[in-house]
Amino acid sequence: MRAAAHAYWRMFVWDIADLRLLLPVLGCVLTLQGAGFVLGIGLFFRHIPETAAVFVATGVPVMNLITAGLIFEPQVVADQRLRGSYDFLWSLPVPRSMMTLAWYTVTLVVALPAMVIALLVAVARYGIDFDVSPAIVPAVLLTSLTGVLIGYAIAHGVTAPMTARLVSISLIFVMFGFSPIVFPASQLPGWLAAVNQWLPFGSMATITRAALVGGEAAGVARGYLVVAAWAVASALVVAWALGRRR
Amino acid sequence: MADDWVFRAVDVTKVYPNGIRANDGISLHVQPGEVYGLLGPNGAGKTTLVKQVIGLLKPTSGRITLGGHDLVADPSAARQLCSYLPQAQVPIDSFRAREAIVLCGRVRGGDRAAVSRRADELIEALGIGEWRDKRGIGLSGGVKRLVGFAMVAVCPGRVVILDEPTNDVDPLRRRLLWDQVRELGNRGLAVLLVTHNVLEAEKAVDRLAVIDGGRLIAEGTPSAMKANDRGSLRLQLMIAPGRDAPPLPPFVRRSTLVGHNLMTVIDDADAQAGIRWAQDAIKGGEAEEYALSATSLEDAYIQLTGHDSEEG
Repeated sequence: MRAAAHAYWRMFVWDIADLRLLLPVLGCVLTLQGAGFVLGIGLFFRHIPETAAVFVATGVPVMNLITAGLIFEPQVVADQRLRGSYDFLWSLPVPRSMMTLAWYTVTLVVALPAMVIALLVAVARYGIDFDVSPAIVPAVLLTSLTGVLIGYAIAHGVTAPMTARLVSISLIFVMFGFSPIVFPASQLPGWLAAVNQWLPFGSMATITRAALVGGEAAGVARGYLVVAAWAVASALVVAWALGRRR
Repeated sequence: MADDWVFRAVDVTKVYPNGIRANDGISLHVQPGEVYGLLGPNGAGKTTLVKQVIGLLKPTSGRITLGGHDLVADPSAARQLCSYLPQAQVPIDSFRAREAIVLCGRVRGGDRAAVSRRADELIEALGIGEWRDKRGIGLSGGVKRLVGFAMVAVCPGRVVILDEPTNDVDPLRRRLLWDQVRELGNRGLAVLLVTHNVLEAEKAVDRLAVIDGGRLIAEGTPSAMKANDRGSLRLQLMIAPGRDAPPLPPFVRRSTLVGHNLMTVIDDADAQAGIRWAQDAIKGGEAEEYALSATSLEDAYIQLTGHDSEEG
């Protein structure tokens, strides 16, 4: 246990040091994404309805968490594979689980400030009165973890770097355009709303929204189950991909 | 106790899903303290073999053990007990040189003070002190390679695997690097050295194996490998572009033409006749220059593989 904790901490330090030039840039991009969406969607309306403002304000931070998880690792790993440094990193004597946990922590470190800034921008722009419950902790941690694990599964499961990049970017577009994150599922065609019942992104928004503004979200328990199921499934893919030796 | 840490590969075969047989029944062993060279042309299967040792690839059949540890069955033990410098550069663009070495030692489980001390020793010994606080992104390929070596040597486990460690390194620091490779052996570690640079390997290794086409085709000490060429000389002719090589005189024991480079092996006693033949070839415009030298491991290597070491 002690050895695992040491391995986790050293890998976290390694990741932070390795990405120190990139992390501030990524943090800025996520902040621009969050604040930009919060402010930009308001421009669609002369007077934004309160419900819409709440959906935007509570959905955009979820987009931050998902984007960080889905994009970051596949891009970094694709780069490592192209440069040939992937083998060196995975020859280090660190348990795969601790490497993944360290990466999850790095992703949180980058995504959480952007998420908080997006929420503050929403308060300033729309005057939303958040009613934050303690459930925000598990909701954010589970949402981020699932995003990271899906990103990890793509990064390590898809060995062709370009394909991994394309898959992760495609999922971001699915998140933006076809998932009920900044709008209610009822706005979607029936079939797409039904599909989203089983996809993780809408449920991530549901559980986070419920923790930010009580009473605005239904199906919270189901949301936790769906997101957790995706976390478990992704973790299994990650375990297979990292444990596999060609 | 040292015998407990003998490295053994037994009948290792690796067949990729596309049917390519990268390793075919390779067996070898490396004692603690021994620097063991794996020589062979590009695509011979050397890198495939060492990637199986570190657990990045899995043998189709065969065993790889280190002392009582089965490295195939337990790749996490392999990563703990072996350190690996791959052929590609290590990912240190954001790190300062010394920081990368220290962090790697810490990730490998080394004690803070010991890692720090050893990092300074290696920086000094490899002659890279002037870059110790420079970021990797600004380092030349050769300095990066030396930092990479220090990263795997700082807290190395029991076996150090070096895949073409001298790539891009300048001649002066190559010598320092070879000294440190020997030093790893002196510290009781087994060193598996993958290279196609036969001339350098000859000075650095205790024993070596020549791999070609996935098979181990020869094994022994450098002197044993050269034994067939005792009393012989190498006569090398640079053939003029666009001209055919001159006909070989009967005293040439064997020859190999690689590009414009005709390498022959002759007896000591035929040195004068060889020089006359080479000078005639130059006068006749068939050759541009010649060189007569003592035979080296490279001549044995060329005989075994049909490649010269520059060709890889």
